Amino acid sequence: MSTPAISTFATPLPSGPVVLKVGDEMPRSAFGPVSRTDIVRHAGAGGDFHPLHHDELYAKEAGFPGVFAMGLMQAGMLGNRLARWVGPDNIRAFSVRFTSQVWPGDELEFAGHVESITETDGEHRATISLTVLRRTGDPVITATATAAIAPPKESS
Amino acid sequence: MIHPSIVGMELGEVRFPIERSKLAELARAYGDDDPAWHDAAAAATAGFTTLPLPPTATILGDHWRPGGILALAEQIGADPARLLHGEASWELLAPIEPGEQLTARQRVESVKTREGKRGGTMTIVTLLTEFTNDNGTPVVRRRDALIESGVPS
Repeated sequence: MSTPAISTFATPLPSGPVVLKVGDEMPRSAFGPVSRTDIVRHAGAGGDFHPLHHDELYAKEAGFPGVFAMGLMQAGMLGNRLARWVGPDNIRAFSVRFTSQVWPGDELEFAGHVESITETDGEHRATISLTVLRRTGDPVITATATAAIAPPKESS
Repeated sequence: MIHPSIVGMELGEVRFPIERSKLAELARAYGDDDPAWHDAAAAATAGFTTLPLPPTATILGDHWRPGGILALAEQIGADPARLLHGEASWELLAPIEPGEQLTARQRVESVKTREGKRGGTMTIVTLLTEFTNDNGTPVVRRRDALIESGVPS
């Protein structure tokens, strides 16, 4: 049974900074199988009407097996899941590298963990590594993010 | 063929709103049905004073560029059928209030070439887009690396 296209997340969206420590992992989530409808829905939402992403004939003439998702679809999904973890107002930077195309039928998994914690501009900030993986194992995105976090609790 | 002389080229300016219905569409496109992304009461229940934004929200400005991505490809002299997205990044500099208008100014920051794995020379164009609010405050700095794949010889 495939994952429904629209998911309900168990925890509310954090409105303030959350407590994180090095090694903490983003709650795992999945999306898919990706359909052509998902790709078109993102085109409508985000405004990318490049025919490579919805016109099968154009994509084949350009030498691709068919249409594929615009990278900003899976990047946006990853950013959404990052926001669900650290709180949308706390993200200071988000940077993605597209390593492979996402095709209809792909099932995506989102993962991330805290690499390090620093104090910058008067804020405690976490540096986070993130990936979007195809369920078959290869990454389609590698990403990094910086997020403001709650000050660590005193460990007395 | 993308020419290195386009470095510094201004790619235009658009002014666009950050609005609730587009935020709802984005949340759906991201596979998240939490009403806190688009419903003020649900957002308030979650503890927000205004609607929260995903880090990629400024992609909504792409809708407002006349001719969209194909016009951009033409502006930078790229073959759209060989143009792929390599990287994207967002520096989130200041809060954005849903309902406000943003101005996005885009220009070519750099052009580099590299030998492609499948033959031919790839060209990597980095675009810088600076978003400011109506007070002139920079709110987001976005970079996109676009890759024009080479033609195998």
